[in-house]
Amino acid sequence: MESSPYKTKQRLIALMCLSTFVFFILFCRLFCLQVIEGKSLQAKATDQWTRDLPIIPARGQILDTNGKILASNKTAYTVYIRAKSVKNPEHVSHTLSQLLGLDYENVYKKATNKGVSEVTLKRQVDEKVADKIRQANLQGVYIASEPYRVYTYGNFLSQVIGYVSSDNVGQTGIEAYYNKYLKGINGQILTQSDLIGIELADKETIYQPGIDGLDLVLTIDETIQSVVEQVLQMIMHTHTPKSAKSIVMDVASGEILAMGIAPGIDLNNLPRDDLQTLLDNGRNTLVTDIYEPGSTFKIVTAAANIEEFSKGNLKAFSNQHVFNNANYRVVDSGKKISCWTSHKNGKHINQTLADALSNSCNPIFTDIALSLGKNTFYSYLNKFGFGKTTGVDIAGEQAGILVPQTAVTNGDLARIGFGQTIAVTPLQLLNAVNCAINGGLLMQPYLVKEIMQGNQLAQKFLPTAKNRAISKQTSQTLCQMLEDVVTNGSGKQAYIEGYRVGGKTGTAQKFVNGQIAQGKYVSSFVGFFPANQPKYSCIVIVDEPTGQHYGSTVAAPWAKIIFQQIINYKNIKPVQ
Amino acid sequence: MLQTKIKPNYVVIFCVFLLVAIGLVFIYSASNYSAQKDFGNPYYFVTKQFVGALIGVVAMVYCSFVSVKQLQKFALPLYLLSLVLLGLVFVPGIGIENYGAKRWVGFGGFSLQPSEIAKFALVLVCSLYMSKKPHQMAGLKGIATVSFLGVAVCLLVILEPNMSITMCIALVTFAMLFVGGAKLKHLAFCLLPLVVAVPLLIVAEPYRLARLMAYLDPWASPKGEGYQLIQSFYALGSGGFFGVGLFNSRQKFDFLPFAESDFIFAVIGEEIGFVGCVFVLSIFVVLVYQGLKIAKNANSRFECYLASGISCVIAIQTLLNVAVVTGTIPPTGLPLPFISSGGSSLMVFMASTGILLGIDKNSKKHQKTVCAIQ
Repeated sequence: MESSPYKTKQRLIALMCLSTFVFFILFCRLFCLQVIEGKSLQAKATDQWTRDLPIIPARGQILDTNGKILASNKTAYTVYIRAKSVKNPEHVSHTLSQLLGLDYENVYKKATNKGVSEVTLKRQVDEKVADKIRQANLQGVYIASEPYRVYTYGNFLSQVIGYVSSDNVGQTGIEAYYNKYLKGINGQILTQSDLIGIELADKETIYQPGIDGLDLVLTIDETIQSVVEQVLQMIMHTHTPKSAKSIVMDVASGEILAMGIAPGIDLNNLPRDDLQTLLDNGRNTLVTDIYEPGSTFKIVTAAANIEEFSKGNLKAFSNQHVFNNANYRVVDSGKKISCWTSHKNGKHINQTLADALSNSCNPIFTDIALSLGKNTFYSYLNKFGFGKTTGVDIAGEQAGILVPQTAVTNGDLARIGFGQTIAVTPLQLLNAVNCAINGGLLMQPYLVKEIMQGNQLAQKFLPTAKNRAISKQTSQTLCQMLEDVVTNGSGKQAYIEGYRVGGKTGTAQKFVNGQIAQGKYVSSFVGFFPANQPKYSCIVIVDEPTGQHYGSTVAAPWAKIIFQQIINYKNIKPVQ
Repeated sequence: MLQTKIKPNYVVIFCVFLLVAIGLVFIYSASNYSAQKDFGNPYYFVTKQFVGALIGVVAMVYCSFVSVKQLQKFALPLYLLSLVLLGLVFVPGIGIENYGAKRWVGFGGFSLQPSEIAKFALVLVCSLYMSKKPHQMAGLKGIATVSFLGVAVCLLVILEPNMSITMCIALVTFAMLFVGGAKLKHLAFCLLPLVVAVPLLIVAEPYRLARLMAYLDPWASPKGEGYQLIQSFYALGSGGFFGVGLFNSRQKFDFLPFAESDFIFAVIGEEIGFVGCVFVLSIFVVLVYQGLKIAKNANSRFECYLASGISCVIAIQTLLNVAVVTGTIPPTGLPLPFISSGGSSLMVFMASTGILLGIDKNSKKHQKTVCAIQ
């Protein structure tokens, strides 16, 4: 080369270096993408390479305490067609229309409509038919099994069990509260496909089986529950109330043995198009709704007095103390609180605490509440679990309404003494009564005692004591007094010859818009047996009975029937 | 007599054949699924490419025997012809519009991209001018002339529009000026219009701005502008270090657009991994190195410039393509030399390496003659 070859060579070498340098940068970039970020990019890419059909696992069963099935599943098969993967639409349409009893033209249209990804051909297909379709081995046709929920008895324990949505997600009750255990883990059928979902013939299909949901064993005893359900139906017939409800519990452990509300709903035939009915009758009002307990609450006031007296509190009354005979008390300088009956003709005269419980005499309990004072009395309300939830395994539990201690007047305190100016849930009250009679321990009520994975125990729930409210001694004394109520007093109608039943009646007037609603009552009875060592307790609540309205006549007799049936079922011998 | 004893540059020949073979394998792998679906023939693209390769071999051999004089004679006519062809793209009936751009001309069943020829015609005419007026290159007149030749092509190509080939041609023109001896400060001055032009061109076509945004953050629009780049990342990432194995790409099942053409390197990355990518790019490095070495040893200025120009076209287009596929620069459509599916591109590249071989042969002949005399 003629002139200045040196410069040209130099520049060629520079070009060589430059291009090598840029190549090197690209090597680094490739290393980043392929080696450093490779795994995460591949993970993202895998998503788009596969189409998945879910395999829905069986939802866990719900069993009663003895293993009787209350909720289980049946399988429905759904046939899908994916037009893009159908190789021979005529053959596919012919076979499917015959096996499924569908119109050929209709099936053919779906088998050739490539504009959509998957179409459902038929739901709720019989297992035998599903098997035949599987054997026909049609490309582009898929069968998914979908379990659906069935309840052994439709209208039975319905508000407790709750129901599921159409895609098997728990909506209320146990189904909702324990949904994460019941639902199991979805499996899937992964098919390898191209961009628009056409299945790739030579790539394998991956089956990832699902994991079935866990079974729940309830504390509920199916036999006792049936008794309760039947009794509630009888109450509905006899007293035509708005509703009737009842809970039966194991006194010592806090296990809920039966829990019923009438009217209920049929879980196998939900009124899904009547939302109001579904919400009203499907709700577990035993924990979600509150009421003024009335005289049944006197058990708590009595317990507080006996315990305080035993501790030497001079403001408490001895069990021999004879209370003032007047049928009213005046509080807050002028407000008059009266007994439910006039103290004439020798009624409610010279009463001790035991007499006051038997007679359900209101003034005596205002005396106790006021004498103990708000600090002491509120400490008992607190220990018996009022003003807070029980912690039961039911969604939507209410805490009740308790006037804050700082705002409570003497008038309020006096009324709380006999169960007014306080709102509780039925479960809260029964749980407090259990505490008063079981030796003094406030338990946490519960519905599920075991979670099972097949035959294997996955988790066991044991009785949980929350706190001690009163001493054993106090509890025993109270039991005797409450037995006396049933033997001789207002609870007579729950008396069973040869068995030691205790209890307390209650009749509360209903308030509507802050006014006493004339003729509207909540009649209730809380009872238990055997009184020497209480095992079963029961609350019966009749909301707005027509005709008679005293708890002693409307609620107590039904509790007696429930107890009798438990005695028969458990074959409990009489004491005498 | 002497001619028969001169060995051709086997390294260049080996590199080219290896790249073409790799191209055929990966075009088949990348396109057999979509070709079966769209054309009912899994070998549709690979057959076309194979025919292109056969013609390419003939063109390569022929070009290696074309004399310097003939090349010099053809330089200007070829340049003018390519300008005419670039103009014909816009003539209805001859120009073919694809994906919203007029980049092809068709004659009967045959179609070609004039820009493919224009690249090399430009290199040829620049080499001729720079070798005839070497002293002007140190001044502004030389730079202005070469720039004018380049800008004329660029303007026609950008009107198609084809941003990526324009970029490629601009860079080649720049490289020619650099090799031709332009002063560095003049070259720096030349960069100025480029710096101004690129933002203007981006603003002129809204899709370019969208692509630029997609480049900056492809994940912001995974279904839109960012789609192609993400799919390319998926392919490269899935490949990892050693790849998923030949023919095992999953991205080629319509996920990756232009898998057999502009984005074939992503399929290579997926199937034979980082190792394979480095291997393929190394072949290009060797080829470019050989090309520039041939330029360095060339007999004449003209041949030196021509060889370096051809090497630069190969280097620049390879680098741009791989940079796009790896998301290093904003996405544009540019085939990977020798490998991407596309007959006219393959033929032109093979013909140009034929010229490289001819230049190499001439310089060896010259050396032998010198030796013989001494």
